[in-house]
Amino acid sequence: MPILNFLKPVKNKKQKVLLLGSGALSIGQAGEFDYSGSQAIKALEEEGLEVIVLNPNIASVQTNPAPNKKVYLYPVTPFWIEKIIKKERPAAIIAGFGGQTSLNCVIELENSGVLKKYGVKVLGTQVSALEMSEDRDLFSKQMHSIGVPTPPSKAVRSVEDALKIAAEIGYPVITRSAYALGGLGSGLAENPQQLEKLAASALTAVPQILIEKSLHGWKEIEYEVMRDSRGNCITICNMENFDPMGIHTGDSIVIAPCQTLNNRENNMLRDAAIKIIQSIAVVGECNVQFALSPFTLEYFVIEVNARLSRSSALASKATGYPIAFVAAKVVCGFELLELKNPVTGTTSAFYEPSLDYVSLKIPRWDLKKFTGVSKQLGTQMKSVGEVMSIGRNFCEVMQKAIRMVQEDEEGLSKEIFKDAQNKELLSELLNPTNMRVFAIYELFRRGFTVQSVQNHTKIEPWFLSHLYYLSQLEGEVREFFKNIKLPSKITPKDIAKHFKDIDREYLKRLKSRGFSDFQLTKFLLSTAAAQRKFTVKEITALSLSLRALRKKLKITPVVKQIDTTSAEYATKSNYLYLTYDGNFNDVSIKSKNRSVITLGSGSYRIGSSLEFDWCSVMTSRYFKQQKDDSIIINCNPETVSTDYNSSDRLYFEELSFERVMDIADIERPRGVVACMGGQNPNNLTPYLANAGVKLLGHSYETVDKAEDRTKFSAILDRLCIDQPKWTSAASRAEIDAFIEEVGFPVLIRPSFVLSGTLMNVANDKQTLDYYLSLTKDISADYPVVLSQFILDAKELECDGVAKNGEVLVSFISEHVENAGVHSGDATMVFPSEKIYVKTVNSIRDIVRKIAKELKLNGPFNIQFIAKDNDVKVIECNARASRSFPFITKVSGHNLAETACKVMDEKPVSKIFVDESEIPYTGIKASMFSFQRLDGADPILGVEMASTGEVGCIGKNFNEAMLLAMESTQIKTPKKGILLSTGRERDKIKFMEVINNVYAFGLPVYATWGTAEYLQARGYNAVQLGYHKSPTPLDIIKEGKVDFVINVHKSLDLTELEYNSAIRKLAVKCNCSLLTNLEKSIAYLKAFDSYQALLEKEDLIHL
Amino acid sequence: MKQILKKEYEKAVLDLSNGVKMEGRLIGANAVSSGEMVFSTGMLAYSEAMTDPSYLGQILVFSFSLIGNYGIPSSNEGDFLKSYGYESAGIKTQGIIVSDTFDDCFHYEHGKNLREWLLLSGVPGIAGIDTRRLVQMIRDAKKPLFGRIVPQNKNAFYDNTRFEFLKNFGRTDFVDPSQYNLLPSVSVKTPITLGKGKNKIALLDFGTKFNIARIFAQNDCTVEILPWDSDVEKVNCDAWVLSNGPGDPQNTGGVINNVKKLLKGNKPVLGICLGHQIMALAAGAKTRKLLRGHRSFNQPVFEVETRRGFMTSQNHSFEVNRKSLPKGWQVWFENANDGSIEGIKHKNKPFMSAQFHPEASGGPNDTTWIIKEFIKLIA
Repeated sequence: MPILNFLKPVKNKKQKVLLLGSGALSIGQAGEFDYSGSQAIKALEEEGLEVIVLNPNIASVQTNPAPNKKVYLYPVTPFWIEKIIKKERPAAIIAGFGGQTSLNCVIELENSGVLKKYGVKVLGTQVSALEMSEDRDLFSKQMHSIGVPTPPSKAVRSVEDALKIAAEIGYPVITRSAYALGGLGSGLAENPQQLEKLAASALTAVPQILIEKSLHGWKEIEYEVMRDSRGNCITICNMENFDPMGIHTGDSIVIAPCQTLNNRENNMLRDAAIKIIQSIAVVGECNVQFALSPFTLEYFVIEVNARLSRSSALASKATGYPIAFVAAKVVCGFELLELKNPVTGTTSAFYEPSLDYVSLKIPRWDLKKFTGVSKQLGTQMKSVGEVMSIGRNFCEVMQKAIRMVQEDEEGLSKEIFKDAQNKELLSELLNPTNMRVFAIYELFRRGFTVQSVQNHTKIEPWFLSHLYYLSQLEGEVREFFKNIKLPSKITPKDIAKHFKDIDREYLKRLKSRGFSDFQLTKFLLSTAAAQRKFTVKEITALSLSLRALRKKLKITPVVKQIDTTSAEYATKSNYLYLTYDGNFNDVSIKSKNRSVITLGSGSYRIGSSLEFDWCSVMTSRYFKQQKDDSIIINCNPETVSTDYNSSDRLYFEELSFERVMDIADIERPRGVVACMGGQNPNNLTPYLANAGVKLLGHSYETVDKAEDRTKFSAILDRLCIDQPKWTSAASRAEIDAFIEEVGFPVLIRPSFVLSGTLMNVANDKQTLDYYLSLTKDISADYPVVLSQFILDAKELECDGVAKNGEVLVSFISEHVENAGVHSGDATMVFPSEKIYVKTVNSIRDIVRKIAKELKLNGPFNIQFIAKDNDVKVIECNARASRSFPFITKVSGHNLAETACKVMDEKPVSKIFVDESEIPYTGIKASMFSFQRLDGADPILGVEMASTGEVGCIGKNFNEAMLLAMESTQIKTPKKGILLSTGRERDKIKFMEVINNVYAFGLPVYATWGTAEYLQARGYNAVQLGYHKSPTPLDIIKEGKVDFVINVHKSLDLTELEYNSAIRKLAVKCNCSLLTNLEKSIAYLKAFDSYQALLEKEDLIHL
Repeated sequence: MKQILKKEYEKAVLDLSNGVKMEGRLIGANAVSSGEMVFSTGMLAYSEAMTDPSYLGQILVFSFSLIGNYGIPSSNEGDFLKSYGYESAGIKTQGIIVSDTFDDCFHYEHGKNLREWLLLSGVPGIAGIDTRRLVQMIRDAKKPLFGRIVPQNKNAFYDNTRFEFLKNFGRTDFVDPSQYNLLPSVSVKTPITLGKGKNKIALLDFGTKFNIARIFAQNDCTVEILPWDSDVEKVNCDAWVLSNGPGDPQNTGGVINNVKKLLKGNKPVLGICLGHQIMALAAGAKTRKLLRGHRSFNQPVFEVETRRGFMTSQNHSFEVNRKSLPKGWQVWFENANDGSIEGIKHKNKPFMSAQFHPEASGGPNDTTWIIKEFIKLIA
């Protein structure tokens, strides 16, 4: 059956389809949905449909304006969806491409009758099926009716029943109490004695507990399944978790295809997966997760996601099969049998890809960015991004992936646990954190066996034995180098000399098992010159002699295609990877082709996210249009840049110096773009420049001047541009001298941190001492950078593009929060609203001067602090910034494109955009994922903590602010409000919006001082103290408030602790939480326009 | 003396009939071996493939880069017919070519590792070959490609008694199996019975995969596995199954005439793979050799009447020519990639056949229903 009837044009008028995005990136719902949505839009447009996109995620590729497409930057909620439906009258709505958020919305809209009212059909899996897959009980019943087992579990009210049920289920069991916070009553019981104790203690606190079969240590296996409306089904990919059941699959290392299952196990689970989605009647894509016993054929289905997911994005990138694209066609009514596999172009889309390589995903955690967070991995996902490596053997992909995720050429062999006791390492295995792989490797180095590590970790020994093998190889190499004495001044020749003594075949084996030149060089240096310390720069420089030797010996990686068919059919696939486990290139690059390599952003992480993928995609598209061979290197499976048609050739590869050089050797590009993918590729600039690679845009000197604090600071001094005072202190005396000069507060940035966050603000001597106690001894090797911390100042940013030192275009935006909140967490307003003309002029003048002095030649971002027209420069980035897509979409001027023209040396004249002509205000706000991060203090500070962002536009500031806040899960209060408004002067400021607080007509609670202040001014607030019940914590726990404003009074440690408890609990209890005074005021003030916004029918779109 | 960091491996060369030579590490027996070069893109089920008699006379290249991960299953007291993972009593391929193997196996069902199994079976293999390149070479060859595995060690043995047809070839020859009737090399010599069901199935063994017999036996059938050249008129049964097997369907002795006799009767007949081709020939259709065969677990087929689609396991070099299909027969299944015939069915009589393997093993179980439906035809 071709396209569904109601999607066919009526009287030549295209039908509209509403596609819901997933909103801001958060833990558990990240960039993968930009990829799936973008592919879907392509597929829908191809079928002659007009796509209406609802997604406030302004940095996504899917929200780029285009003909035949309308983009609404509004919260993805039933309320706004209904408004858009009313305005656009789409024929259908698609829920499957915007994660859980969009799925929940469509379920709600169907049940409330909205879809029926407007005659909007749901494409793909129908709502009744979605509800069934989401509801534990319904799902479980359905599974049992088709003979698929779900993990046994039963609620009990007595210890006797608990023991009875456990005997039925079989030990070990988990006890869980459904209604308790903080995991009270949860535990693992291996035998009746343990269970009796656990159950007895739990049942004193709660009336009922769940007894569940423990699947800890079972294999976790996933299948990606697609089903069309006729009922034909394919399993596109299966995946196996390196980590056993018990660690969330989003936090697990995952390999595709499954490695340790035999044919019978695989097909048993495949049959079950198909049976499940047939019985749910999924139309489109579906993910099925199983637990499989490592000792029998016993299995359970754990979860079904009847939509595109993180796993489906991974499966798509792992196999090359464009799942989202085909799924979009399928939900429009096409049969798999009538669609072609887009990779081959000739064979059927009704096909299960065959791989002749393996791919491995490793999640990226940024836990060090959060104060107090538990680093332990468990059933709650904590990672913020991921990388995927492709290779021909497990050792190779493991080593590649670890380098990708660590952004460190040393990878697996980095001696992170060198000084740890065995006991410490074993405890890391029992309570795994994000560092577990390094602990395992260190134990193998120390001679521990696969068996003993398996006993502690329950990780499948097949995986462990490869890590063991790598440790053996490292040992052999080190042993060989043991008797070498390197001269005091080591030259590249010395390095080459010793590597020449390694047999060619052996060296090739080392390379094919994934060791980088850097790693091997470091083995030599740290064995034969163990007393000396080498910097990354020195080791990299010396490793070049090994590189030269390898090339002479013809040990170079080969290029292989990912083609979905394991070469059964010849394809023109441009989806490539490099491996040393092979001897022939699949593709030959004709040297006459002009190619440009764009370096992508690597894994999403806090501070570098979707926005840099947007910049990379824009860059690649630009050079594609210029008839260059546009090449992308990236290793992040959640991206649009790694889509099969975002470039002319995609190298799904490491963004390491060695690998970029390998690709440059193969491609012989006319230039490499390193300034569009964020800090990660930008860091390669000095190495690439040294190696003679032509960088497009900024020269290495420019980047260096901007990046090197000392150099940049000296330039500012020379140009008479003000900057906050700072110093790099090598001793306590130097620190004290600096503080003597500038006074508190100061921002401290140690170069080596033992635990906790990297940057902190010290308000007094006590906090300074505390933070310094967390760092290693201060010395010339480990200095501490201190800077003056300016209070109550505005922070402003200027994004733009310069050519040969002349500014072509620039835009100024302002932060809602005062300086002190990381620019990545701040709420940004564009066009700016509240800055003096004089400040604007000063900024423009400074930008011109810096551009000229640094000879900026490409995209840039400069950040400022302004207080009473006194403007100081904080930093300058000679690269595209986080705000590029936001500024581009609000201003209507594409900064990325202008930057590309500059890099391409195309003529571009100065561009003047009159900001007063921009008919609306844009606000970019940050999304936080504190709910997922147990123990983390949800406070804004100098370290960035947000995991995503949105950008909303409104007729004025207030509208945009309300939309942006709603889009970042700040919900209008419904139950009660808890106030704690900080210092005296903050309290005074807050009075500006106090009437809006009371206008909600809800009970207002306040902490002691705040309540006193309010009462004195005639406002009624329930006064709460820390030491008198009810405390603020009680009020939150009891659900009396759902909206908390908590502005801390000072940076005093006790004060911080009190407030921290309130903030943590507020997040845990699902309250909306604001911790910044200016942001709180701006939000509450915005309610002046609330009614007008709600009544609005004519929504703004791009 | 200068020290060198080195590891010694026994080497072997893959010597191809197109003149290309590839060097790798010898795995398994120190033996010279030759056969037709074929590749499979299945990512699992290497032991099933290596024991599949349809691979007789062939050197099998695994396109997936890691082979041997879960070891070789231990056999059920030597009874391969009942042992999962074995499709016949031993390795049938002439040798294997892999990118990599790993000796440490941990699967609870594993007995030996791949290397040990090859060694004990007297079969050589080569690891460390760029198998993707080799697959492309076989794929793009304009005529069938033959290869020899030649260990570096001069004492490598040559055994031409492993299978009956090998007597025709010397140590330095390229073995081309399709010149010969291969059925005597793989068929049982005397009947074997499996199962105690109420339906009596006669399985003509052209080199059957054991899983065909296992599925029938699990579904209330008694299966009698008969030598390929049995006199069909003397067999007492409820239904006939023509098994898979190696080689050219036209080069199968008197089998076609035998099957013609079955098609004159009214008992249900199911042909699988070679059995399908032989049934088509017996019905009067023609077969021809494909430039390259289908060997994988992901061949998409659909039932023509219903457009129901299935992933199938396949291993064949020959196909039934669509135009030659005689009156009274219809195309049952079609390949979704290249439109080739994947199954035929008689319009009135209970005769049907599939080019793919409904018994799977290895590969997906999407078409096991064919066997179950077939059993239902036995009234």
